[in-house]
Amino acid sequence: MATHFSPCSSSIKHETQQLFSRFIFISRKCCFSSWVSQIQPRTHSRKRFQLKSSNGYPLNAVSLHASLDGKPLTKEHFGPQGKEASIPLAEFEKIESTLSITVVGASGDLAKKKIFPALFALFYEDCLPEDFSVFGYARTKLTDEELRNMISQTLTCRIDKKENCEDKMDQFLKRCFYQSGQYNSEEHFAELDSKLKEKEAGKLSNRLFYLSIPPNIFVDVVRCASLRASSANGWTRVIVEKPFGRDAESSGDLTRSFKKYLTEDQIFRIDHYLGKELVENLSVLRFSNLVFEPLWSRNYIRNVQFIFSEDFGTEGRGGYFDNYGIIRDIMQNHLLQILALFAMETPVSLDAEDIRNEKVKVLRSMKPLLLEDVIVGQYKGHSKGGKSYPAYTDDPTVPKGSLTPTFAAAALFINNARWDGVPFLMKAGKALHTKRAEIRVQFRHVPGNLFKRNFGTDLDKATNELVLRVQPDEAIYLRINNKVPGLGMRLDRSDLNLLYRARYPREIPDAYERLLLDAIEGERRLFIRSDELDAAWALFTPLLRDLEEKKIVPELYPYGSRGPVGAHYLAAKYNVRWGDLSGEDS
Amino acid sequence: MATLSSSSAHCPSYAYHRLSSSSSNGQHQRVGFTSSLPQRAKISLQCLKNSHQNVVLMQDGPVATTATPLGNETPFKESKGGLLSGTSLEECKDAVGFDNNENEPSVSITVVGASGDLAKKKIFPALFALYYEDCLPKHFTIYGYARSKMTDAELRTMMFVVYLDEVPMFIHGENCDEKMEQFLKRCFYHSGQYDSEENFAELDRKLKKHEGGRVSNRLFYLSIPPNIFIDAVKCASLSASSGNGWTRVIVEKPFGRDSESSAALTKALKNYLDEDQIFRIDHYLGKELVENLSVLRFSNLIFEPLWSRQYIRNVQLIFSEDFGTEGRGGYFDNYGIIRDIMQNHLLQILALFAMETPVSLDAEDIRNEKVKVLRSMRPLQLEDMVVGQYKSHTKGGVTYPAYTDDKTVPKDSLTPTFAAAALFIDNARWDGVPFLMKAGKALHSKRAEIRVQFRHVPGNLYNRNFGTDLDRATNELVIRVQPDEAIYLKINNKIPGLGMRLDRSNLNLHYAARYSKEIPDAYERLLLDAIEGERRLFIRSDELNAAWALFTPLLKELEEKKIIPEYYPYGSRGPVGAHYLAARYKVRWGDLNVEQ
Repeated sequence: MATHFSPCSSSIKHETQQLFSRFIFISRKCCFSSWVSQIQPRTHSRKRFQLKSSNGYPLNAVSLHASLDGKPLTKEHFGPQGKEASIPLAEFEKIESTLSITVVGASGDLAKKKIFPALFALFYEDCLPEDFSVFGYARTKLTDEELRNMISQTLTCRIDKKENCEDKMDQFLKRCFYQSGQYNSEEHFAELDSKLKEKEAGKLSNRLFYLSIPPNIFVDVVRCASLRASSANGWTRVIVEKPFGRDAESSGDLTRSFKKYLTEDQIFRIDHYLGKELVENLSVLRFSNLVFEPLWSRNYIRNVQFIFSEDFGTEGRGGYFDNYGIIRDIMQNHLLQILALFAMETPVSLDAEDIRNEKVKVLRSMKPLLLEDVIVGQYKGHSKGGKSYPAYTDDPTVPKGSLTPTFAAAALFINNARWDGVPFLMKAGKALHTKRAEIRVQFRHVPGNLFKRNFGTDLDKATNELVLRVQPDEAIYLRINNKVPGLGMRLDRSDLNLLYRARYPREIPDAYERLLLDAIEGERRLFIRSDELDAAWALFTPLLRDLEEKKIVPELYPYGSRGPVGAHYLAAKYNVRWGDLSGEDS
Repeated sequence: MATLSSSSAHCPSYAYHRLSSSSSNGQHQRVGFTSSLPQRAKISLQCLKNSHQNVVLMQDGPVATTATPLGNETPFKESKGGLLSGTSLEECKDAVGFDNNENEPSVSITVVGASGDLAKKKIFPALFALYYEDCLPKHFTIYGYARSKMTDAELRTMMFVVYLDEVPMFIHGENCDEKMEQFLKRCFYHSGQYDSEENFAELDRKLKKHEGGRVSNRLFYLSIPPNIFIDAVKCASLSASSGNGWTRVIVEKPFGRDSESSAALTKALKNYLDEDQIFRIDHYLGKELVENLSVLRFSNLIFEPLWSRQYIRNVQLIFSEDFGTEGRGGYFDNYGIIRDIMQNHLLQILALFAMETPVSLDAEDIRNEKVKVLRSMRPLQLEDMVVGQYKSHTKGGVTYPAYTDDKTVPKDSLTPTFAAAALFIDNARWDGVPFLMKAGKALHSKRAEIRVQFRHVPGNLYNRNFGTDLDRATNELVIRVQPDEAIYLKINNKIPGLGMRLDRSNLNLHYAARYSKEIPDAYERLLLDAIEGERRLFIRSDELNAAWALFTPLLKELEEKKIIPEYYPYGSRGPVGAHYLAARYKVRWGDLNVEQ
């Protein structure tokens, strides 16, 4: 049994033994937090932190304090949960808990390609609780067996552990069920509820709903699920995927509608970029290495670049994209989130609320984004080597006259003491020459550099640069100046390297796995809080409105190119040179 | 570009650069030496122009191609090709070659003690390598001078044998044999006594013949025992100095045994030579990564802010050899490891490491800063020093001898073959930071490295991931001088995967992977510097005095009190005393961690 929960948590197994001691600490807060049972999953997640550093030193047994949620519950909080507080502690220990994960929109692409495989991977790694079931919910009529067939196509085992793969898959599939129903039918969700109850067999029931559906039916599903299929005695959580609205208003509306049925701590807004390995590592790098933190300010950093590029276009699926555009699709969420993590002050602790408080502070300190600090582009058709690539507007699902940007670059500024005057450049685009996501930190030049004679006229071209490559080929490298070996004194820029694939040959888990596990364990660090979302929209909404009202025509760039040259001029305006297009890297 | 393969030709660009840099030296330095000739200045100017061009080229494209930072080697190679941008190189070659000038100076290099080991194994090969890379001036002559009777042909044979035996020492390019043949034609031998002015006068006549009326620059390399330094210097300077060019003398360690003998030697040398004619060589300063130390510090923004007591917890300078004296303990026994390694090599590296930013990269500016470090150092106490001597050890059926088993060593010798010391620099930058040195023979590995251990992160959010000893999870910068030159920075990162486990990884720069070319031997660099009058890597008298002032009282005490060294088995990790010394200053030797 102990081995059963190996990689992700030693926690679940121990929880009953440790619960008692925890309660001494927790019970103080029970009076104003009416959802005692939520404490329990929280303890799991904390314990993931206590694992040893690989130096081989013993585990430090102290677990992080469960931050009992900074957010007070809203007035209209969820009925059933009120009862939890009354569960006597002694009884509580005896109750076994079950977990039901309902994927709403089970027949969709994301569910098939990402969610079910991630769930299986968690199961394979023994990260799911012992007693769990997975439900698919969608409008299509399917039997359990059909669902199993469908998802078994996309399940894979980790490359480094081939044994028992088939067995494990069979076991997993046996726990998968299907319920068909309308997304706005309370009745159908009540049917789901009775099925869930059947599986839960009277145990403490925790329920997670993953909304893998179009945004226009979010609220319907949340309403039905919360009214009809909430857990009576455990927690109920809902994972929502972007888009979270189109602008400040629609996002505010959405949040308000959610909050009619859910409390803030039940809503898990997923941003799968925050689950990427190197984004997770960003905080570790900053806060656990002495050599980086002293440099992390305007004194030493000249600019920071967040770069996202895809080497394909919309490829016939532009319908959704055309309504949003690259700024909403990538910048306002993924890149801005990474920026906030990058630039935040040191949080009081690693608890979700502390980190999110710091992120909100960054977002709220940002200078309003001006139209002249943004460049938009759209890809056009291009023929190369006899092959011709379509323009964005060639996509049949895209209106012919669409002005939706498929590329955008922006210069942002954070008006606080740490970052005043440092340009944070963002760039995101589709149909570019490479596929990559990275963070580049360019340092200032050395004051009074003794070696400046060796650098030619532009000292800024020979500065240090820290690159965190999020994908593909996760890596960290620090570009330094060194001497070319040999007689004489010629300088060269080399990289101090850490290539993940070389050091950690094991497959890096998909972002969805991490995020699903976090949601199950109630770890909110990587999910976006309402006020964060509001601040992010507040930053981008005026700009987006401007762009759309003025019908700014995007700069066209050929499919597969390096993007519109406007991005260079934008960078030049702030004395920046894009690190990814400097010729060194491509 | 591809044709400029990496095996050739880094030197021409080198030569130009050096010339240009020495020209600027010339301007900065006071009258001092008569060597800056008009032609030379002109050449340097020309080169400067080229150099500028070259630099710009480097910056724009090619250097830039450093490329795919990670992974496969091909891009690296390409980038190397790129570094040597074609045109400027050739231009520079012309500038160095200056074919049309009849009056260009000649250089005669006389290796005094030519039959010795160092001369055979290091000096002549280094000279050949310089020749091979076109780094020697057009008119040069090499003389061997020693007591043994030998003909020119015999000297050449001797050199050729070494060349054949030690081929790996050379750059194996095309025409290597051919070049050797040409080189040997420039090599001559003169036999004579080291204290005979007459014999040196004969040498002078021979040199003059080769110089053929050109401006004559003469370099003497004293590869002889210290007791005859003065005699040779006297005779050379009186009877074989150049009439119209410069005369320089390269001296190898030992520079005395203590403050007094070193001062006496300096004084005696100064009877015959000016300070700027004396080139005290410390071949460790010619090592690639030691040269790179200043580049790392002063051309990277990310290091300099960290370079102080505020961030650095301790610095370790480690030297170890995996063999003992092996029958050649006679010289060593008279000096011991402290004089042989610490007082010179390690202390020099320490001074370079810890110095304040110099005004410029000129020799005098750098040496001024180094002297300041040495003079700020706290006197070394006996209790901050651990000495050891290796004893015999049998492992896997092989018996390794003790130090005192060496026939050339007295049976009861107390000479340390291992020493560890804690040093402190009492200045604003380094107050309280322990600088630990460790040097030993007959240890388990062969290495020389600098380790910089940083402090732990204040208020580390990830405390609980590190166990109880925060200092064991700090950053560390390692500069490995030999073998396998490398720079790496140990950082903490997250182990990929679910959960939050931390790990220490290295941000690496492995020279062999990035620069496939062979790194020149330290002697090549230093000989070339001496020829070009670049004094940056040579030790000035006041530096030497300061270094001795630091170590002499301690050495005296050790010898007067007859401190018994701690014995350690041949091939072991050295005496455990070194750990206790480190522990006293809350340091942990970085090279003896389990991680390694």
